[in-house]
This record gives sequence, structure tokens and C-alpha cells, in this order.
Amino acid sequence: MIQLHALTKRFGTQVAVDSLSFQIPAGQIVGLLGPNGAGKSTTLKMLTGMLTPSSGTATLCGHDLLTETVEVKRKVGFVPESGAVYESLTGLEYLEMVAALYGIPPDAARARICQFLAFFDLGFDTLSDKLLGAFSKGMRRKVVITAGLLHNPPLVFFDEPLDGLDANAAVGFKALIQSLAQDGHTIIYSSHILDVVERVCDRVIIIDKGHLLLDGSPEELVAIHGSGTLERLFTDVTGGQELERRAQDFAKTFSQ
Amino acid sequence: MKAQADPHAALHRLFLTLFLRGRSARGRTKDGSPASLHRKLFMTLLLYAAMGCLALYFVRQPLFSYAAYLHAMTFASMGLFVAGSAGEVLFCREEADILDHRPIAPRALLWAKVRVMVEVSLWLAGAINLVGLLAGLFVLEHGLRFVFVHAASTTLLALFTAGSIVLVYQLCLRFFGRKRLESLLTLTQMLVAIAAVLAGQLPSMLSNAKFSLPVSLSFRTGWLAFFPPAWFAGLDDVLCGQSSMASWLLALLALAFTAMVAWLAFLRLTQDHGKGFQTMGETQGLTPASRAGVSLLNRMVNRPPLSWCLRDPVTRASFLLTAAYLLRDRDVKLRVYPGLAPYLILPLILIFKVSGGLRGRSFALALLVAFLGIIPIVAQSLLQHSQQWQASDIFRTAPIPGPAKLCDGGRQAVMVLLVLPVLVVISVVLFLFPGDPSRWMLLVAGFIAMPVAARLPLGTSWVPPLSLPAEEAKSTDRGFLLFFTTAASMLLAGLAFAAQSVGMLKGFLLVEAVLAAVAYVLLRRALSKQCWAAID
Repeated sequence: MIQLHALTKRFGTQVAVDSLSFQIPAGQIVGLLGPNGAGKSTTLKMLTGMLTPSSGTATLCGHDLLTETVEVKRKVGFVPESGAVYESLTGLEYLEMVAALYGIPPDAARARICQFLAFFDLGFDTLSDKLLGAFSKGMRRKVVITAGLLHNPPLVFFDEPLDGLDANAAVGFKALIQSLAQDGHTIIYSSHILDVVERVCDRVIIIDKGHLLLDGSPEELVAIHGSGTLERLFTDVTGGQELERRAQDFAKTFSQ
Repeated sequence: MKAQADPHAALHRLFLTLFLRGRSARGRTKDGSPASLHRKLFMTLLLYAAMGCLALYFVRQPLFSYAAYLHAMTFASMGLFVAGSAGEVLFCREEADILDHRPIAPRALLWAKVRVMVEVSLWLAGAINLVGLLAGLFVLEHGLRFVFVHAASTTLLALFTAGSIVLVYQLCLRFFGRKRLESLLTLTQMLVAIAAVLAGQLPSMLSNAKFSLPVSLSFRTGWLAFFPPAWFAGLDDVLCGQSSMASWLLALLALAFTAMVAWLAFLRLTQDHGKGFQTMGETQGLTPASRAGVSLLNRMVNRPPLSWCLRDPVTRASFLLTAAYLLRDRDVKLRVYPGLAPYLILPLILIFKVSGGLRGRSFALALLVAFLGIIPIVAQSLLQHSQQWQASDIFRTAPIPGPAKLCDGGRQAVMVLLVLPVLVVISVVLFLFPGDPSRWMLLVAGFIAMPVAARLPLGTSWVPPLSLPAEEAKSTDRGFLLFFTTAASMLLAGLAFAAQSVGMLKGFLLVEAVLAAVAYVLLRRALSKQCWAAID
């Protein structure tokens, strides 16, 4: 479903992603992990056609990322971390506009939107009457997730999708992505909430400073490294072991 | 089989809605329901239609001059309007996360945006030309034909104006790249604003000369070929007027340049727009804030005389915040500098244009007085708005009783970074026009008024810098505020000029100084007593 070969992105002299290579088959949920500035968002933006790679190649759903960008975009759903929306549109106007960009007929679009509304427990009146700027963060996140999945893409990228969702919505969302994967959708899930990643993902890829550090199933990687949990493994490989001691030192000096 | 939705129509509808409603809805309505567009649109068109009434003054002139006036006004207004909105429409940073991963070709995206810009420009052009067209219909010899021809040439002018601005952005992107794009956007918009103001001088140049288009362009009249409005007036003249060699030449320039600009902007360089749009979403590799600029600011605030004025930590923090936004923030720079450009260039035009001896130059100086009062008001009014306006909640959570010290800091940043350089430039220009130094006394009227003007509340109460939504900067209420401010400043200039004419300038200045001192004390006291206004 996804094949990356030496995918690289440079910003001037800075290398954000350095020769990243991996393959992901259909129906897998893959957690893309890394500390801040590791290159996760840059990788996702390259794979969704938002950024042009500096070098390397990638194939998504059989389409070349560099030469068939629009075709790739048609097959991809993306839920960005920023949660950006057009705030002066109502939720319904926004989702219908997104549906139209994928060529979904208005009636079919409305039906799909209503399915998502029911799933997320959102009122139709709220969606049709209120501007997105007046939505709460959680409601806006639900609209952004709906906009990412509305065209039923075989390949979905989530960048911190739970940000702003309440506990119930988060539980529902985790169940949703597992159901989608069972139906053959491939999901790349980037997040800092490692226990969720550990429970939801079939496989995790950890990158740091643009390099691939680890790739495997959470259970397998935790067992190999003898870390006990994915969180401990993550801090071990990304140099976060000292954080607890530093936090204690900070608290002591700060309160003096 | 169900009909597929049309992505192009969806994009057009999207950008038209965004253009009319604005991109941010936060803080606009209490219940978050869409605000009525009709009133806003009607008021804007009414304002432009009122501006168009000046056409009645020119309607008895030869057809070329009349058409040139209408096109010059249209070009200046449309140029300012499109330049003011193009940066946000073409390269909105947040938009990359919304649209860049959707299956849309860069050309489709650009065309949808440009189509909306041209469409809205045509509405404005229609409003500006409404009175002129009606007057032409009844007064000109081929009135009905003029209406149709002028409407067509105005449409071409709208295409040329929008295309030129898009082209300038794309050329900047192609030749200077991403790193310098943001500063170039500001510079470009300023230059376009200045060009629009300069082009707006065409009617007065024609009317001063009682101008009638010659049979062919000579060395003396060749300057017309450098004024785009004159090209389109040539088109009107060819089809409704004397159809001379000169008007044919100008008409050909209009057609050739419109075709060239449209081809380059909307076809040839669309890929560059795609790249530029993509790079807007990049968060890495951005040019870091200029270290030289930052250290200069820090040196300035730590040394007299600025350190004396910024002893209070809140005032100092507000000064640094406002200064940082004036130097670094793309949205603020795109609004403030192009917004101020006409006010900066007009006084210089006045000084250079006036050739009517001592009295004429004195009047130019009097107008300078008016602009000295307007610049801090306009700058502060534009600086109240920011895309990060919600961050100003930190002012309210801090232990500060009201906005007074924050307003002080913002005002001082405006005075130091914007007004002071303008004063230096004006002084240099005045130095180049030596004459009786007593005339310079007129400027004192402006200096006296400036501290009061800079402290006026720009609405019902004082608002700290960068604390209102960016969208509100375009409201028609703000337009009316600026209109009344300009009128009041002009009144002051007129009074000063009249006082000088009758030899009572010193007395006038004395009275003004006393009144200004009283107003200053009252304003200062009122500002220091103001508490935070309730949040909607």
C-alpha cells in the first residue's frame, strides 16, 4: 500500500527527513513516533503530497508520489495536527465543500456527513447553523476527522487526532480506526500518547532527527529491548532517560 | 447515475464566501451564527459609489480625459483593494493544511482565487463608475455606446489589475524564493499601493493642463504611455471618441499588456503559485528573526531617551511586542505598511507637485500638517488587529488594572518605528526645497496635534495592540473612523493655513498648544482610569 525508498526532505542545509525507507501493507495500523522535531509531520506532509521530497521516491496505492500527486491525494485522507478549518464557514458548508473537492455528489455527501454526525453525536442544527469559529476544540476536531474520512480513502494519515476529543469520543475514535483497518484501510497514526499507540497499532515506526530508529510490532520491540512498556522503550531510544531526574532537580531549584 | 460535484464550482463558492465573510469568525458574533453579508457589502459599495460622484466634475471634459479620470479612479481603488487582499487570498498560511492534501491542481486553485478577486473588483468598479456612466449616458455625444464600451474596458482593466498583482507575486516567488517571499510580499503591496496612488494623480494632471488627446503621442505627451489608466481610456476614445493615432496606440497597449499579463499570471506561472502555496505550509527552514534587528531594538530600549520613556515594565513589554510584530509578523506587515503607504506618499507628491509659488507650497505644507496627525492614528488603528488576537488574553490574566500601559507601549512603538522615520524623510524633502523658513512654522501645528492624535481612542474605548481579530480591520466602521479622522485633520490644516494667510499663525499655534495640552491631560487621565472592557 505504501512504499518509501530513501525519502529525504531538506530545508536549506537542515535535513528534516533523511533517507527514510519502509513498506506498509494494506489493512495495517502503523504508529509513527518520534520526539518533537523528529520529522514525523514532515514525513506525513510528504506522503500526502503537501511537501515535495528533496530526493527519494514513494508509491502510495500504486501511484507514484512525485508524478501522480493528484491521484495520490485522491486516495489519501489526512487529519492534520493543526486542525485548521475555514472558521467563517458553518460545519456543514465546510464538509460539503470538502466533499465537492473529491467529486462526491451533494446527496451522497449529505448522507455521509449524517453518518459521521451520528457517530460523533453531533447535532445537525449545530453543524448547519454555527460558524466553525464558534465550535469548541473537540467539536472542531470531529469536523476535521470527518473531512479527512468523508471520501472513504483507502489510506488515512492521522497527526495527533485525539487532541481536543473528550474521553468518550476518543474511545469511539479508537474503535473506529480499528474497524477501518479490519475493512482494509491502511492507517498511519502519529501521536505522542504512547499508551494509545501501544493499544491501537499493529506496528510502530520510531524516528528521530529524520532517521528511522526502530520498526516492528509494539510487543516485539518492547520484548527485544526489555523495556516493559512502549513509553519506556521510546524514552530509552530517544534519549529521554534523564527527564525524571531533571524534573526533580528543576522542582527543587525553582521553589528555592 | 448521480451527477458528480464540480470541484471548481466548490472552490469558487468557497473563496467568494471567504472573501465576503472574512477568514476568521472568532469573536464576531456571540452565538456564532453567520453574520449578514448584505449590510457590509452594501455599505462598501455605497462608499465607492459616493467616491464615484466626483466624476460629475469631469464630465464636461473631452471624452479621453473623462474616461481617463474614471479609469484612474477605478485603477487606484481596485489596485489598493486587490493589493490589500491578494497576499491573504493567494498565500494564506493556514490554508495549506486544509487544501494542500486535497486532489486539486495548483492552476485550479489559483484560478478560483483570481476569479473571485476579479469578480469583487468588478463590483467595486461598477460602484465607482455608476455615477460616471450615468452622467456619460446623458451628457456625452455617444452616451449609450460609451456605457457599453467603458464597461468592457473597465472589465479589461480589472483583469489587468488583478493579473498584474498576481504576476508580481509569482515573479517574486520565482526569482527570490521562499525565504524572501514574506518580506517581498510586504514590499510589493506597498509598491502597488504607491503605484495606485500615483496613477490616481492622472486626472488632476489632465485637468490642470485642460487636456485633449493629441493626434499622435509626442515627446511632450509620451508620458501617457506609462499610465495604465490612459491605455484603457484610449480604448474608450477609439470606439466612442476621436479615434486618433494616439488613442489607437494607447488602446493597443491596453490590449497587449492585458493579454500578456493574463497569459503570464494565469497560465505560464501557475506552477510557481503551487510551489509558493506549498512552501507557506512549511514550518522548518524559515529565516530566523533578524539578529541585527533584535539586538538594535534591545539596545534602543536599554538606552536613553527610550529607556526613560519605557521605565514601566508593562509599557516596555508592550513596546517590544508591538515592535516585534511590526518587524516580523507577515499579517501585520501586510496590513500596516501598505495601509500607510498612501499616507506616506501623498505628502511627498504634494510637495513635488505644487509649483504655484509661496502660497501653493504653504498649502502643501498645511496638508502635511494634516498627514502628521493622521499617520499615528492610522498606524495604531491597523495595529490593534492580529491573527493571534486571542493571545491577548494574557493581558487580562496579568495583574494589570486596564489597558493604559499596554496602549502606551504600543503607541511609543508606532512613534519610534513609523512616525519618526516619516518625519526624517519629510524633513529631508523639505530641506531640498529651500525657501522662507517661516513657512515651516505651519508644521508646528502638526507637531502640537500629534501627541493628542496619537492618544485618541479609536472607537468607544482604548484597545491594547494586537488584541482584535484581523478580520475586523476591514470593517466599514473603521473606514468611516478614518474618514472622520482625515476630515478633522484637514480642518486643522485648513485653519492653520488660514491663520498664516492673515498673519495670525503664532496666535493660532498658541491657542492650539493650550487646547492640545488640556486635551492631552484629559485623555491621559481617562486612559489611566479605563478598566478592562467586558469580553463578548
